Amino acid sequence: MSERELTYGEAVKEAIAEEMRRDPRVFLIGEDVAEAGHPFKTLVGLVQEFGTDRVIDTPISEPGYAGIGVGAAMTGMRPVVDVMFGDFITLTMDQMVNQAAKAHYMSGGKIKVPIVFRTTLGATRRSAAQHSQSLHAWVSHVPGLKVALPSGPYEAKGLMKTAIRDDSPVVIFEDKMMYRVKGPVPEGDYTIPFGVAEVKRAGRDVTIVATSSMVPVSLGAAKLLEDVGISAEVIDPRTTWPLDKQALIDSARKTSRALVVDEGYERYGVTAEIASVIGEGAFYYLDAPVKRMGAMDVPVPFSPVLEDLTVPSEQTVFEAARALCRR
Amino acid sequence: MPANVIMPALELAQETGKLLRWIKAPGDMVRKGEPIAEIETDKVTVELEAPASGILQDVTAQEGDVVPVGHTIAIIADSASPTLSPQGGRSGTLAPQGSGAVPTLSPQGSGAVPTLSPQGRGQGEGPTSDRIKASPLARKVAEAHNVDLAHVRTASGKIEKADVLAYVESRRTVATAGNGGPGTIVAASPKARRFAAERGIDLRALKGSGPEGAVLAMDVPAAAEPTGTGPLTSAPPTSGPLTSAPLTSALLTLPSPQRGEGVAAGEGGGIPRRGVEDAASQEKVGTVWRVMAERMAASWTSAPHFFLVREVAVARLGAWLDKARAQTGVRITYTDLLIKLVAAAIVQHPRVAVSWRDGVIERHPDVNVGLAVALEDGLVVPVIHRADTLGLKEIAARREDLVARAQAGKLRPADIQGGVFTISNLGMYGVDAFSAIVNPPQAAILAVGRITDRVIPVDGKPAVQPTMVLTLSCDHRALDGARGARFLGALADLIEEPLTLLV
Repeated sequence: MSERELTYGEAVKEAIAEEMRRDPRVFLIGEDVAEAGHPFKTLVGLVQEFGTDRVIDTPISEPGYAGIGVGAAMTGMRPVVDVMFGDFITLTMDQMVNQAAKAHYMSGGKIKVPIVFRTTLGATRRSAAQHSQSLHAWVSHVPGLKVALPSGPYEAKGLMKTAIRDDSPVVIFEDKMMYRVKGPVPEGDYTIPFGVAEVKRAGRDVTIVATSSMVPVSLGAAKLLEDVGISAEVIDPRTTWPLDKQALIDSARKTSRALVVDEGYERYGVTAEIASVIGEGAFYYLDAPVKRMGAMDVPVPFSPVLEDLTVPSEQTVFEAARALCRR
Repeated sequence: MPANVIMPALELAQETGKLLRWIKAPGDMVRKGEPIAEIETDKVTVELEAPASGILQDVTAQEGDVVPVGHTIAIIADSASPTLSPQGGRSGTLAPQGSGAVPTLSPQGSGAVPTLSPQGRGQGEGPTSDRIKASPLARKVAEAHNVDLAHVRTASGKIEKADVLAYVESRRTVATAGNGGPGTIVAASPKARRFAAERGIDLRALKGSGPEGAVLAMDVPAAAEPTGTGPLTSAPPTSGPLTSAPLTSALLTLPSPQRGEGVAAGEGGGIPRRGVEDAASQEKVGTVWRVMAERMAASWTSAPHFFLVREVAVARLGAWLDKARAQTGVRITYTDLLIKLVAAAIVQHPRVAVSWRDGVIERHPDVNVGLAVALEDGLVVPVIHRADTLGLKEIAARREDLVARAQAGKLRPADIQGGVFTISNLGMYGVDAFSAIVNPPQAAILAVGRITDRVIPVDGKPAVQPTMVLTLSCDHRALDGARGARFLGALADLIEEPLTLLV
């Protein structure tokens, strides 16, 4: 199989299309998913192949169609529910948190809710405070939900397929700034297991745990670090739940220093959880406090100049890692 | 001012100590220097002396408890002020009772240092005096360091040199740490703390390169082991507080294997019975046994062993032994002769007294010969230091003393440190020959079988003569066959013709 490249958006679409061909129970529902092919153009062509019965446009009512999705999943379908911007999961919270996440437990295992909520994260698109947040920590907090954060085209396809085949509710956050990024994506079927972190780059001196959008940023920072003689290990958990704690701990034990980078708000965020996992699991191996970097604790500014400042960049990650290493 | 009693670190790599028994009970009035408890460390039993005079209180460790090094196990409260503050004293440990597993530091200042002494020592310092007194030496040191003696407080009220040095050290720590008074916890990363605890290094002796002077892992000398010049454990030696002279990293990195542990698998006696038994047919093992198990497993799995076997005629050695006994009037044994001859062979072939460490072969100049001694609950290897410089009489006396104290469980850390080579003799058990496991970080161990009459060719004809089979086990990372064979050859020559020692 040749080294074929797809964009992140194409990888998402290919995953959904392949799963829809494989399993007639899989369908897509959301705003502008059919004729418009999604505002980010990630779903173009699906309605032509699968028809409006399986690619369903809805009115602007996130609670409504999220509830339809949960009900359909309970009755045996495998819906992919599209929530256009991650910011809008605030409107689908009851459906996700109190219904989808709970039904299996509260029915004594009789009900399964094999639903995928597909949504986005990521700032710097100049979309202002209500369309730029990365709220994956919210759902990572809730038992009963699984949360996947693809960090590139390869992950976008593999994690989406795993999500659709999983019998539990899964929320998958795509980085809206990465849709046009190209990368190798194998043709045909493959999945990426949940709860298995991937070492994106091996290193000795400092561990950078990075999620989603922050993986390429951290890999860029690792290159800068290499130039100053610091060998950084970049590790991508790929799912915030289940979380591959041991891989993170092992890496931090190896390097003695850890920096956790995630685009969610820094306070009470994914970085805090991962830092505490490392702090507990690698305490006696750490030579510096675990450092966290998230989005600045402010509503994302509309001003491009200001917006860019709120998100970790290659340069700021480089500087933080370098400071950790005291070089 | 209350003083913390902490579990001391007496040896490198010691993480815990076992509280064997309390000599004093809570509420007892104790005097500084008086033994208050017995502690069993990895290989020795020592008495823990009261770090200060006062009332023993807040005893948190029960007899039989295994306590992480550095943890507070009791407090000695001022008899005058029974109110206790965990921050009080100049103890420097200050980990709140039972809080977590952070290895805390060795305290500074005699006011709070549990000093250790060999069994039986430990006279007190006299009752607390209201008036602060200082020794002339303390005054001199104070002057040299520009210290106002009024600021130096001791539990006993009497200021000695060490108290002044501790005060100076604490000021330095405060200056670097930037907050708190004397007794502030030294800033150090968890990894550095672990390294220091594992290596028995006092963090206070290290200069931190981290933020606010915090000690980082890189500041802890790598794989340091103490020289024979004194225990670099975080607990100070008998004479009280840690000297404030910083331990230089040069000193700390000087090589010297120590803590030898014995050897032969299948040592007579089987697993010892000791302590409480589980309901099932399991036995708890003592510290000595556990350490033996760990170290032997580590050696066997990490050091590639090879074995050189040689039968030597010992007729002349026997004659020599008789003469030596007659001349000295001392009951010299074959073991003593072997120690002497092994030391001489090491002098001829110093290349066997080495350690393989991180890809480097470290040489050890002092000919410190260890002797594996079987105890009820495991093996210890007390060391006869500089055996090459000792006469047979001295070796015999040393050996007798060490073996007796080993069997009584009263070895001191210095007794088992610094060995560069080990002898294990199972001849008395009727063993003809055996292969021993190298005693890390040493590179070789000599397994000695029994002396018995065997048939050997003499001048082309079979003759019956006493012989002994020696088996040299070597760590192939540090020694090769030829070097091992040359050493064994030299030893065989010395045994077969001991008089060559004289020429």
